[in-house]
Amino acid sequence: MEDIENIEEDEYGFSRNYFLAKELGGASKRSAHKLSDIHIVDEQELRETAIEMKHAKEISELMSDYKTMYSKWVFELRCGFGLLMYGFGSKKALIEDFASASLTEYSVMVINGYLPSVNLKQVLLALAELLSELLKCKRKSSGSLSKGQETFPSRSIDDILSFLHGPQSEDKDCFICVVVHNIDGPALRDPESQQTLARLASCSHIRMVASIDHVNAPLLWDKKMVHKQFNWLWHHVPTFAPYNVEGVFFPLVLAQGSTAQTAKTAAIVLQSLTPNAQNVFKILAEYQLSHPDEDGMPTDDLYSASRERFFVSSQVTLNSHLTEFKDHELVKTKRNSDGQECLNIPLSSDALRQLLLDLNQ
Amino acid sequence: MAPSGTVADPPPTSTTNSFNSGDTAENDIRPFFVLHKASSSGSNLNGKLTGTGKSKRRIESPSPKIAKRSEVESVEEEDGQFFSTLRFKVFETVWSKIEKTIEDVLRNSNSKVFSGIHDWIRESFESIISSGALKLSEAVRSYPVLTQASSKQLLTAMVLTRNLEMVDDLLTFEELELHLKSQGCHVAKLSSMDFSAKSGVGGCLRGLLRQFVMPTVDVADVTILASWYRENKNHENPVVIIVDDTERCCGPVLSDLILILSEWAVKVPIFLIMGVSTAHDAPRKILSVNALQRICATRFTLSSPAERMDAVLKAVFLKPCSGFTVSHKVALFMRSYFLCQDGTLTSFVRTLKIACLQHFSLEPLSIMLEHFCHDGVNQLSGEGTGLLTEATMKHAFDLPSVTRNKITRSTFEMLPHFLMDLQRMPNPWSIVVLCIYEAGKFDKLRLLDIFCEILDPEARYLKYFSPSEIVNSQSHNSGSNNVIRRVLCKLRDLSPSQLSSMLKSWENLTTEFSEINDKVMELHPFMRSVEAAGQRQGLPNSPKKHASRSHSKLEKELKAMTDKVATVIEFMLREYMKPVESVPFHEILCFKNVDKLQSALLGDPRGRIQLDLLESHNILHCVCCSQRGTTLLPSMHDTSILYTLAQEHADVINLHDWYQSFKTILIPKSSKAKQKSKSSSKSKKRKDICEEPEAPAEALIQARFCRAIMELQIAGLIRMPSKRRPDFVQRVAFGS
Repeated sequence: MEDIENIEEDEYGFSRNYFLAKELGGASKRSAHKLSDIHIVDEQELRETAIEMKHAKEISELMSDYKTMYSKWVFELRCGFGLLMYGFGSKKALIEDFASASLTEYSVMVINGYLPSVNLKQVLLALAELLSELLKCKRKSSGSLSKGQETFPSRSIDDILSFLHGPQSEDKDCFICVVVHNIDGPALRDPESQQTLARLASCSHIRMVASIDHVNAPLLWDKKMVHKQFNWLWHHVPTFAPYNVEGVFFPLVLAQGSTAQTAKTAAIVLQSLTPNAQNVFKILAEYQLSHPDEDGMPTDDLYSASRERFFVSSQVTLNSHLTEFKDHELVKTKRNSDGQECLNIPLSSDALRQLLLDLNQ
Repeated sequence: MAPSGTVADPPPTSTTNSFNSGDTAENDIRPFFVLHKASSSGSNLNGKLTGTGKSKRRIESPSPKIAKRSEVESVEEEDGQFFSTLRFKVFETVWSKIEKTIEDVLRNSNSKVFSGIHDWIRESFESIISSGALKLSEAVRSYPVLTQASSKQLLTAMVLTRNLEMVDDLLTFEELELHLKSQGCHVAKLSSMDFSAKSGVGGCLRGLLRQFVMPTVDVADVTILASWYRENKNHENPVVIIVDDTERCCGPVLSDLILILSEWAVKVPIFLIMGVSTAHDAPRKILSVNALQRICATRFTLSSPAERMDAVLKAVFLKPCSGFTVSHKVALFMRSYFLCQDGTLTSFVRTLKIACLQHFSLEPLSIMLEHFCHDGVNQLSGEGTGLLTEATMKHAFDLPSVTRNKITRSTFEMLPHFLMDLQRMPNPWSIVVLCIYEAGKFDKLRLLDIFCEILDPEARYLKYFSPSEIVNSQSHNSGSNNVIRRVLCKLRDLSPSQLSSMLKSWENLTTEFSEINDKVMELHPFMRSVEAAGQRQGLPNSPKKHASRSHSKLEKELKAMTDKVATVIEFMLREYMKPVESVPFHEILCFKNVDKLQSALLGDPRGRIQLDLLESHNILHCVCCSQRGTTLLPSMHDTSILYTLAQEHADVINLHDWYQSFKTILIPKSSKAKQKSKSSSKSKKRKDICEEPEAPAEALIQARFCRAIMELQIAGLIRMPSKRRPDFVQRVAFGS
């Protein structure tokens, strides 16, 4: 009964906080300060600035405290549970240290879920190969006949999973440990990947150790996944270690508006294009610089100008160039007051001038 | 390859860090890699965990937490290997016993429905066959098109699960599959995953063929099924298709499958079993009209989750099982988790497993549970097993329940005796619980509620028991939830027939325990006189309340009877209601640590991650930030400062303001004054600052600000500026 009241109180506190915050937003006028009022240093510099870690001593003490739990974690893994680590701070070093210190008896595969792309099929293939190697060793030592060479690449995900879910021998301890850093990472967030991971976690030859960082990560899983497949045991292990590798793919909040940066990226993109495409872009840029008050250059004008200088032979070629520009967000289309389609480069005049200079070098 | 850091030297990346530190290992940017391979696959169990043992010893650092470890633990470390291996083995034994018990209970609860389904299949199959056997050539052809409506009917069983949570029924349908297979049927099981709009009806046909014909089939052609069915002796048995979660299937695809299969109904007698969890008319909502017309449905109903729950509870805790049990608090937690949060039996079983696991990892003496799993405790006395070492004995006599009962080492020889008692103890206790459960059934009381209440070592009735007092005390603290009170109240309203059926079940329950059985037997004469009185009135079954004035004789007899029953209940409670927690040495069997269970079962990332940030000093235990009170100090973790600042903002945060307040915190007061005087005049000043030697500090602050924001974003606490609102970030989480 007490619990129910507690839960209700929590819920109440949550909604109260939410509405308080909303009210605050409505009542007092929002601050009109602009980010551009701050003198922002170059992104390169921001990224390269060395930041000293605070509380390094305490953090390493925290880590060594966790070491006392390693044997418990191994016990839990052997009992068939998955470990889910959460809490603030990067847990990459902690989990890998745990794996290399305490899981020496088992093969360990690490998946870096924080990367923007992870191909789960390849992961499964590698796991299947690892397991078949392991089983072969076992069979050799136990002296029983080995089956014919198994090849996996041609098999489907279902087949690989059913191989990993093969019957356990008397020694129930034959498993591969899969470490997934950021199982809630961008590449693994879609339902299909989570389904695959859940099925992987439920395989008899697999145990999973994973970490989450997002507060809403549990929403990725339904009850079947939680109770039957992942079978998580939660561990609250805040490390306060910096997210060095995990954060590489996040944009810097102070860098996104910086003109220098976008001009630089634009230059890099343009340099990878054909000279004709570059020249078309230059026509557009020069037009925009000479007509700063207009919405942009009408597409037809760009076509005729480019054709005159023999940069394009047909509308189709121009369109292919334009698609390329649009894909890299170098060009935006807009309709002007006459209803004509206009092309516009989303850069300031200064940045555009700098860009043209770079291109002409 | 592996970043193996010891305590002495923390990970190399720890002192200074930048976003683009060049030493990011190659492994960090690979999607996946093999950290290491199993060291030696030939090693036996005894060699296991050597690495752990070593690492454990390595961390003999002066950290206060470690120094606090109990003596037993450090002694245990010496033969840690032995105990780890043993513990794991005993856990396996205990848990597999519990698991098997639960499986058996669930199987039994379903067996009636299963055999009902099988009988239905057999009967229908025989009637189809008797209508005329087909030749192979006829059966494989898709023509002649059948015109009779009756021959296009697809026989379907609707299995009502009475449970909205599919998780609990996954096992049920697996069992059903096994059951039907063992009876000779050809069975394939499809789930909602197979009925996706993406792969269409071809996907589920392919799935069927893979299960029936061979696993490598990659075409979706129902004629393959037909010809397979005619092969060998396949046609002697019916074909059954189980769809376990009908409501989650894609309706059009399921309809298509039904239409296709019904066309072939005569050639391949297919039986469709659909698990329906909402209501019996659910198929009407998802299937097309055409498909509905082809279905000839029969209904079966499974037992409800609450019934199954009670059955499981009874088998695991009240009948001799593994010996493992839980304390009052843990039981209450499990109950509220079941009732308020999850509501599935699966989660309840999982909670139980976690409790069992935690018990083994926290309580060194838990390994003694092994002996409770087997019959008799004869082996316990043997020191040869290495169980009763000096260290474990010391631990055993330091248990709170032992010191509380003033049992000292002088009664050393008594340990086996006590343990014997522990094992015997639940018997009369569980008999009493089951008797109360029987009596409570008339008031629809759940065993789960009774079980939770009766485990309470502080219960009032244990100290001064008087039935009349309990019934009359309205002001009792637990109010209407007092199970015993409800049972006693209900007793007065029972009809004679209900009383007699209760007596019968009590008699059955107590046969093995003569002390209680005798008391129950003493009730029979009273029962007889009640029945006699009832017959005289000619109204043996009418409830007492509605009896008219002329029935005063019956009323009197009933009153005497219920009083007598109440006395028996009083006797049972007084004599045998010893909750497990009041028994010495119960810690060996009983899991008590509800906090550990809760934190392992229910991670609370939303609350905990925010708390980590708001109260970082509690976790880091640093001297500098611990005494800060409500002020923010520059020594705090950057992200922590930033998130605490964010609490003062509304649902959107102005980046500029946020940055400025972050900067004010970071710059120590002395230099702040200097800064202030400078920034009095506006834009020109900024340039000055840039040229001042403090400029790098500005870059550093910005870098730290960026990183803190990035970390908040990783934690999902804020959303980045949108195009529409480029100067604001949005707060996502409000309070924990």
